[in-house]
Amino acid sequence: MASYSSEEEEEEELDYTNDPVWADVTPLPQDDGHNPLAQIAYSPEYTIAMSYLRAIMAANDHSPRVLNLTSDIIGMNAAHYTVWGYRFKTLMSLDRSQTLEDEKIGWSWRQELEWVQSIAKRYEKNYQIWHHRQLIIDHLDDPTGERAVTGEMFALDSKNYHVWTYRQWLVQRFQLFDEEELAATASLLEEDVRNNSAWNHRYFIVLGRLGEAGPEEGVVERESELAKEAISKAPQNPSAWNYLKAVLRKGGIELATLKPFCESFAPILSPDEIKSSHALDILSEIYDEAGDSVKAEKALELLASKFDPVRKNYWRYRRRLLGSKPTPASDTPTIQATA
Amino acid sequence: MATAVTFTNKPEELFVDKHVKYIQSLDTRKDELEYWLTEHLRLNGVYWGLTALHLLGRPDALPRDETIKFVQSCQHENGGFGAHPSHDAHLLYTLSAIQILAMIDALDAVDTEACAAYVAGLQKPSGVFAGDEWGEEDTRFVYTALQTLKILNKLDRVDVEKAVDFVLRCQNYDGGFGVVPGAESHSGQIFTCVGVLSMTNNLDRMTPASRDQLAGWLAQRQLPNGGLNGRPEKLEDVCYSWWVLSSLAMLGKLHWIDQNKLVGWILSCQDEVRGGLADRKGDAVDVFHTVFGLAGLSLVGWGGLKEVDPIYCMPVETTKRLFGPK
Ligand SMILES: [Zn+2]
Repeated sequence: MASYSSEEEEEEELDYTNDPVWADVTPLPQDDGHNPLAQIAYSPEYTIAMSYLRAIMAANDHSPRVLNLTSDIIGMNAAHYTVWGYRFKTLMSLDRSQTLEDEKIGWSWRQELEWVQSIAKRYEKNYQIWHHRQLIIDHLDDPTGERAVTGEMFALDSKNYHVWTYRQWLVQRFQLFDEEELAATASLLEEDVRNNSAWNHRYFIVLGRLGEAGPEEGVVERESELAKEAISKAPQNPSAWNYLKAVLRKGGIELATLKPFCESFAPILSPDEIKSSHALDILSEIYDEAGDSVKAEKALELLASKFDPVRKNYWRYRRRLLGSKPTPASDTPTIQATA
Repeated sequence: MATAVTFTNKPEELFVDKHVKYIQSLDTRKDELEYWLTEHLRLNGVYWGLTALHLLGRPDALPRDETIKFVQSCQHENGGFGAHPSHDAHLLYTLSAIQILAMIDALDAVDTEACAAYVAGLQKPSGVFAGDEWGEEDTRFVYTALQTLKILNKLDRVDVEKAVDFVLRCQNYDGGFGVVPGAESHSGQIFTCVGVLSMTNNLDRMTPASRDQLAGWLAQRQLPNGGLNGRPEKLEDVCYSWWVLSSLAMLGKLHWIDQNKLVGWILSCQDEVRGGLADRKGDAVDVFHTVFGLAGLSLVGWGGLKEVDPIYCMPVETTKRLFGPK
């Protein structure tokens, strides 16, 4: 395992035409009515590998050499979903016949996972990789080291949607709603307080799976403190505000308790000192609930005219809703001319 | 393959003829590696190109017979469609195949009964659909499954109510929807979830307050330059002109964003020499961003484009023929 290097693997080129391993396979060229010469003129390596794949798949061949062939193709085109499926089928077939961990073929599930990770780092936008990994970990029934693997990916892009989806699957599948998970989100938020993915994940692990019982004592306080601290660092960060509101709702705490906190970011009588449109937004709700329609209107007018004019129609709609909580006001579009 | 792109400095003009030529040229680029590397998307690509041509008012710009033949060649024995004859069946390509045939009024060219059986076989006990035999679950697949069956008039083959329940479980505390329950809100997933609720007449399963919260979140996707992003703190991208706008349209809240600003921003992403649109100014154009840019412009009523249906991402002419007037 220690000597395994993904970089070396990338350099290694397969020689299908001369290597005896492939001697019994007659490559199948592309046949969809198009002239196959054009593609051969362009990329001989990809075309040759694909023609061997077609032959192998036609023969339903799941021998160890399929691993080399499919890794060659995936290295050139990681989004080729059919190749991933065929590779997994082959791995499972080798696993069943107990040849996978055999020294002769020199490949193990561990090596597979390391190879997958090297591909994931090269093709960050690819999602087939993560489903492949999920199938393997599900089969092995062991999440050891997997959180570290996603952690490595977050170091490259802490908002990678596919990696987050995989991480949530992992937490759900192996019930990892624990301190380590909590600490991981805290440290990602420490690095970037605007990371919406990390906020979402924190909600998922802390509050997402609760039933009717509601959160344990102290949790709501702890989480709202975390959000408030984040807001103090970046008052215009919608993720932390959304989290704060959601935590209070989950804890059955009234929005009105946020009034002093919001007013410290948005004193509506001194518009020049307003630091957060999100605070204004919440204040309009709080004032409205308290029956203070003058202040509520003022907050929404400030949003429409000064702090968020791009969405002025939205804020005007909210103004029409004031005092009529249960039934929404009519919302006829104002005319917006386009060409 | 990166050919130089000449971005327009006239963001008030739509280069219709250039875009038609660009789409027509896509199938003739077989000397470029890119063509072969995107084979796993081919059927989607045909759908994107054909939809764009319909919106541009040039529905006959691709040869109809060849299109039908190609779609037929992608159907597997199990009834599903792969991206290309040598690629496995998957719901993403199955919907594209059916949409293509619906647009050119040729649904009888394939075995629709087998297709419906394939789709129905992918529904899981939770109501969600897997994308293919490998079992990946995603709200996108609920959308692709239900739209496929709706076009084929075979929605009764699946448990629609359970599918809708699953989608509703994917709504988050911020109002948006993700790929599975608990997953982060994402504009693309929101389009598929709101699409499912719309096409099954279930939008009222969300409370008015929750619909407003969702539409508010979507409106927040507009950035000061007019472009739309997919999630908080991400870059604007032409394809979100579709995912965000269509969702707002389904919710009746298109006017919550500044449409004029968005139009100018989309138009600035055109290549005025070779045609096509890029995800944003400075990048290479592709057919994916071309169709979704055009569809976005159509939704806000850009003159000269055919009307697009926000639920199905096909011309209204097609959806009217399929489902009758709204
Ligand atoms: Zn895009």
